[in-house]
Amino acid sequence: MANHLRFVGRTVMVQNGNVEAAYGVLNRILAQDGVAEAVRRSRYYEKPCRARRRRAFEACRRVYSAEMARRIAFLARSARQDPWLGC
Amino acid sequence: MPRHGPRSRRAPRRARAGRAAASSAAMALTGQRVLGWGARAAALCRGLRTGPPRLQDTAGAAAKETEQQSATEQSSSILQRNSMRWDGKVYEEVPIAHIKATYNNTHIQVVNFDNRPFSRTSCGTEGFQNAKKGTAIAAQTAAMAAAVKARAKGVLHVRVMVKGLGPGRKAAIKGLTMGGLEVISITDNTPVPHNGCRPRKARRL
Repeated sequence: MANHLRFVGRTVMVQNGNVEAAYGVLNRILAQDGVAEAVRRSRYYEKPCRARRRRAFEACRRVYSAEMARRIAFLARSARQDPWLGC
Repeated sequence: MPRHGPRSRRAPRRARAGRAAASSAAMALTGQRVLGWGARAAALCRGLRTGPPRLQDTAGAAAKETEQQSATEQSSSILQRNSMRWDGKVYEEVPIAHIKATYNNTHIQVVNFDNRPFSRTSCGTEGFQNAKKGTAIAAQTAAMAAAVKARAKGVLHVRVMVKGLGPGRKAAIKGLTMGGLEVISITDNTPVPHNGCRPRKARRL
C-alpha cells in the first residue's frame, strides 16, 4: 500500500472529534472488504490442502446460512391474511 | 443440505484448527450483506471507493469540521477544491502519526509531512518489559508520551496511519487524543501482500 497514493484508500475522516466512531467505521470497512481476515490468516502459512478445504467449507456454510435465514424469515412472517377467517 | 464434512475430518486436529477457523467462522456469515448499516457508513464506503482524485473532495465534504463550512455549503464543496484547513494547513501538510501495532509491542512516531521526525516512542521506551509491552495500556502510555513530546514541538492536529493488528491498535489512537493531539483522520496502512513472502509455519499448540 505504501507504493500507491497514501491516504487515498482505507482512510476515514474524523467527524466532530469523534475518534471512536471513526475507528469503528474503519474496522467495519476492513471487515467488509475481508482485509482484516486476510491479514490474520496470513500471519502463519496456510498449506494449500487446508486452504482448499477451508474455502469449500466456507462456500457450503454461506449457502447453508443464506437458506436458513430465508427459512426463518419465511416462518417469521406476521403480516399475512388469516387462513381460518370465519371459523 | 451440506454434510458436516470438514468438521468430522478435522476431529483429530481439533485444537489446531484454531485461529483460521475461528476468524473465518465469523466472516462467513457476511454472505448476506446486512442492509442495516448506518447510512453515513455506507455513504462513506461509497465515497472512499471512487477514484483517487475525487477522494479528497468527497472525504473532505463528508467530514464536517465545526469551525468550517455550514450544512448548506456541503453539497457544493463536493464539486470545488477541498477547502478544509486545520491551523491553516491543507490536509497534505498536516503531520502524520505512524502507529505500528505488532502483537508484542507498539511503536508510535510523529512525523512532519516531509518526513522530519517530531517524536518517537514505543512501549519499551516507556519502561514496560517483555510481555507487558504487548498490552493496550502500554500502547496508551506510549501514545500519550509521544503526544506530549509532539505537542511541545508545536503539533496540534495529526493524521494517524495504523499498521498491523495488535492489542495496541485502538489504545494508541486513544492515547494520542488523551495526550492532547487532535486526530483528524485514521488510515489503515497494514501491509497486505499479494501473495509475496511465505509466512512462518503454523504453530502447533
